Amino acid sequence: MYELLGAALANLMQVKYLLPLALGTLAGVAGGALPGVTITMTIIVVLPFTFGLDPLQGLAAMTGVYVGGSAGGLVTATLLGLPGTPSAIATTFDGHPMAKKGEPGRALWLGIWASFFGGLLGGVFLIGATGPLAAFALQFGPWEFFSLFVLALSMVAGLAEASLLKGLLSGCLGLIVTVLGTDPVMGQDRLTLGIPFVRGGIDFLPVLIGVFAFSQIMGEIERRGAETRVAAAADRVVHLAVSHAKVLWEILSRPFQLAWYAFIGVLIGVLPAIGGSAASMMAYDQAKKLSRHPQRFGTGTPEGIIASESSNNANVGGSLVTIMAFGIPGDAVTAVMLGALTIHGIQSGPLFISQNAQLAYGIFAAYLVAHVLMVLIMALGARWMLRIVTVPRAALFPVVLVLCTIGAYALSNTMTNVYVLLAFGVLGYAMVKGGFPLAPFILGVILGDQIEVNLIRSVMTDADPWLFLTRPISGGLLAASVASMAFAIWQHRRARGKASPAEPEF
Amino acid sequence: MKLSKDGWGGLAVLAASLLLFGLTLGLKPSPLVPIGPGFYPRIVLGITAILAAALIAFDLAGRKKPPSAEKPAYGAVVLHFAVFGVYVAALPWLGFRIATFAYVAATNALLDVPRAPRGWLRVALLALATTLATYFVFERYLLVLLPRGRWTDF
Repeated sequence: MYELLGAALANLMQVKYLLPLALGTLAGVAGGALPGVTITMTIIVVLPFTFGLDPLQGLAAMTGVYVGGSAGGLVTATLLGLPGTPSAIATTFDGHPMAKKGEPGRALWLGIWASFFGGLLGGVFLIGATGPLAAFALQFGPWEFFSLFVLALSMVAGLAEASLLKGLLSGCLGLIVTVLGTDPVMGQDRLTLGIPFVRGGIDFLPVLIGVFAFSQIMGEIERRGAETRVAAAADRVVHLAVSHAKVLWEILSRPFQLAWYAFIGVLIGVLPAIGGSAASMMAYDQAKKLSRHPQRFGTGTPEGIIASESSNNANVGGSLVTIMAFGIPGDAVTAVMLGALTIHGIQSGPLFISQNAQLAYGIFAAYLVAHVLMVLIMALGARWMLRIVTVPRAALFPVVLVLCTIGAYALSNTMTNVYVLLAFGVLGYAMVKGGFPLAPFILGVILGDQIEVNLIRSVMTDADPWLFLTRPISGGLLAASVASMAFAIWQHRRARGKASPAEPEF
Repeated sequence: MKLSKDGWGGLAVLAASLLLFGLTLGLKPSPLVPIGPGFYPRIVLGITAILAAALIAFDLAGRKKPPSAEKPAYGAVVLHFAVFGVYVAALPWLGFRIATFAYVAATNALLDVPRAPRGWLRVALLALATTLATYFVFERYLLVLLPRGRWTDF
């Protein structure tokens, strides 16, 4: 394992890999720093640029975006009090008060170094756990894969904030998208609705791009007025000079807390579609509970920044494990990475690491090097990152949508995927307005074909449906799926119970 | 009994799933696969219909949330979707370069209305820079073929 990792690191030092990785990390940091532009949006914009690259170049660029984006949000969170990404919200609680107290450099670098160390701890898990988990998944038959995908979908639906019912419906809508077109076993036309471009089935990438890009951009167009405030705040001069030795000591003198926050991040990352925002919030909450001075939280305490940022970047490692070991995207960013693999004809799943060892270890190496590049980019450009928030949305939005169009078109060099992009852009916006979460929908679109194929394979191998329950792993996964739903129901009821007294009576 | 946004959403999903469920009944069974091409879609659509019906029922039985005080600019959203729709429709006829120039210029001008000749110059420069940069990066460097116009051959 270490030899392969060493070889991958040496290979990555070639300019042809290092350049896309550095540009990806820069794009990620910039996208992360820009309030209103998420990591998902950044990776969607970067996707078309990877079409002409070899798989490792493309995936290195995307890994860079993921790592850079997870840290980039802290720049505006600490210095302006505006989290660049949802995962930097918890950083704002203590980062911004510390910056306002006259220590902006300390606040910023506590976040950057905590991201770095949290990310590296996540990397240890990524490198150490992917192989054994993939080997475990190789024991799976179609029953287990079916149950695993059902578990992933039910967990994501259950974790939807709005309502469990809407989460489940959203997942089902995603599954419906995959039954339109052709039957995956016999290739027979079904439910084409007389629309010519539906006959070949619907690619998940234009669906994902359309749903996320339009829901976000149209959501921004809906709300107006925040831009001036951000631009005015960014015009202030800030002094970021700091003693790095002191900052590093502040972080490394708490090794157990750091490891615990990173563990929370990794754990949340492994669970599909929960994301960095939940990880950083949970770690922040843990930091407050474990602290001897919880009353200091929210006033600019270093523990708050360290917890939020270390957990947030460790989350990236956890998300990458899920996709590399099981072929299940942990979030929208890894879903785009899954799409990039598919474009290059590479099958994700348990066989990925053994059949594409060079590429898998290349991703590990890119993940590690991206953290070093992230620190360098921050050191050289944190001050300039503040200027990024002054980029006018009026210029940014049309450029992003043009890049989305190119990304969709270039998948098959036909207009079909561009029509899909627009259609699902409208649907995605409507879903957001209706309070339907997008994550279960996307996971449904990605996993739908696999769920059907494994269901049919299992029935064709043995028609006994009880095997789904009596095979130990499959039964365990389905039991976990039921438990996750029960937990979600309990959680929603508890949340409603707490919220009800505050609701106005009408 | 009045439906809220949830109820209307549930009703739309219920109607769509029942329509598609009806269409699966016309699918011919395959001699090679015992369960046929309609088996899995029927399960998915059946579950969707049940969940949608439950959403409607909960909406009818539950307390309605008060309408939000925020007034989103839905007109602007519809306009921007329409402009993007025209762009998508124009791409195969005008080609990438002309359609993209027009789209970027139109969207930028709608989002930040130019009030002086300098503003129009900004719009034109952004549209030109975006079109040329994307064209050269994708067609020349990354070898991604972009749409050619049937009318313009450009």
